[in-house]
Amino acid sequence: MIEIRGLSKTFVGQDGDTVHALRDVDLDVAENEFLTVLGPSGCGKTTLLKAIAGLIPWNDGDILIDGTPVRGPGPDRGMVFQNFALLPWATVLDNVAFGLKMRGVGRSEREERARSLIALVGLSGFETKRPGELSGGMQQRVGIARALAVQPRVLLMDEPFGAVDEQTRRLLQEELLTIWEKRRMTVVFITHSMEEAVLLGDRVVLMSARPGRIAEIVPVPLRRPRSSDVGALERSGQYVEITAYLWDRLREMHEEQRPAEVAG
Amino acid sequence: MSALAERPGVRRPRERRRSPWRRLPAAPLSLAAGAAAWELIGHLADVSFFPPLSTVLARLADITSEGMILGSLGGSLINLAAGFAISLVAGLAIGVAMGRYRKVEAALGIYVYALLTAPSLVFAPIFFSLLGAGRGSIIAVVVMYAMFVIVINTASAIQSVPAHLVEMARSYGAGEGRILLRVMLPAALPMIMAGVRLGVGRAVTGMINGEMFIAVVGLGHVVTEAGGRFDSAEVLAVLLVVIAVALSAVGLVQAVDRRVTRWVPKTTRGH
Repeated sequence: MIEIRGLSKTFVGQDGDTVHALRDVDLDVAENEFLTVLGPSGCGKTTLLKAIAGLIPWNDGDILIDGTPVRGPGPDRGMVFQNFALLPWATVLDNVAFGLKMRGVGRSEREERARSLIALVGLSGFETKRPGELSGGMQQRVGIARALAVQPRVLLMDEPFGAVDEQTRRLLQEELLTIWEKRRMTVVFITHSMEEAVLLGDRVVLMSARPGRIAEIVPVPLRRPRSSDVGALERSGQYVEITAYLWDRLREMHEEQRPAEVAG
Repeated sequence: MSALAERPGVRRPRERRRSPWRRLPAAPLSLAAGAAAWELIGHLADVSFFPPLSTVLARLADITSEGMILGSLGGSLINLAAGFAISLVAGLAIGVAMGRYRKVEAALGIYVYALLTAPSLVFAPIFFSLLGAGRGSIIAVVVMYAMFVIVINTASAIQSVPAHLVEMARSYGAGEGRILLRVMLPAALPMIMAGVRLGVGRAVTGMINGEMFIAVVGLGHVVTEAGGRFDSAEVLAVLLVVIAVALSAVGLVQAVDRRVTRWVPKTTRGH
């Protein structure tokens, strides 16, 4: 579904040094796979996601979606942002319909589709509210509905639950699982939480920083559907084992980096 | 029914009487105090250049009934409206272009800042000689006064639009035109309106200064004539009219501002 071949991205840092945000990244994402990407800050995971979204250029390599090279943003991809990126002056309905409007969908059709997605994310009755009147969790529900409204084949999520409190985060994780189990699609989900990566993902892509590259891809063979009993799943031996393994690897990376951080 | 309310000494917060401070009508009181001070100082000083308020108001009634105010006011308002409209349209366009494109800012920034800080009346003789002693020159002076503050506010408003909103719009396939129209302009609107409010005040200043200098039409013409006759009461009477025009214009802009920026969360302010 998504093929990434030899992707490299460099940029010039503030001190004039060349920083390798991504170096030689190869990755295949299967149709309807839920892929989570985990790594320390500065490992280029958001850069990778934005490259797939077609939002930033890169230096070398290719990204193909169903064999077609990515040249910019496209209707086959919908993105969910860490800071929600909602239009503060627009109502929930207009925010959810924004992507459809940009694609030239007529008013009645886009409002009908927006309403059904607002219902899907549990925000019926809030159609005329503005983002400022909603909690963080509700705002991100709007962000998810906006992305789903364009019926993307690939859902790109950039630490979508990083800016909400722990309880809301857990609720949103369960709801995302429920939605995905109902309407399967390919998901690339960036996170810095090991638990979240394991709970949601079919595979966890572990990235390391400086240069940003894929250190390891860890399969998560936990049974699905997972939304029905998240609690039991989190107590299972397999879940605990994979989470512990990911933490060991992440700690190694942090220790390797520490001298570099002191030096510069 | 409500045991709490019946108990002596316990009052529900909502029923608490509003404090005298909250009920204080600050604006009318301040106006009354200003008027009283003017009247008093006018009488005490007893100089021809500062007549008391009552004398000025009587003179205002006189010249109004002679038809002098209404005729000049119409001419002045046309100058103001035309100059402000040009300032608004050109100011928004230049400001958006400067805020969005670095090259435009580099090219125009120096002119905009130079003309913002230069005393605008300096340009009146230039307009006078280029456009003649007519309405065109006065409108040009109004534009010199009002436009640049709108340009600068619009440019910084566009620059401070959160990058993540633009990125979001791009990810959903919005092109440059839609990003400007559907995302950047609405996001920048509260700050743009702050510049427009400043601009309308400066436009009134430009109108009266331009009319006083070029002195063929409008309220400024009346002021110049009265000044030549050392008729201070008439000068101040026209000044009152000019202030009324300025306050109405600013009030109009504020009403528009409140309508278009209703979504902006209110900051907390003291009473």
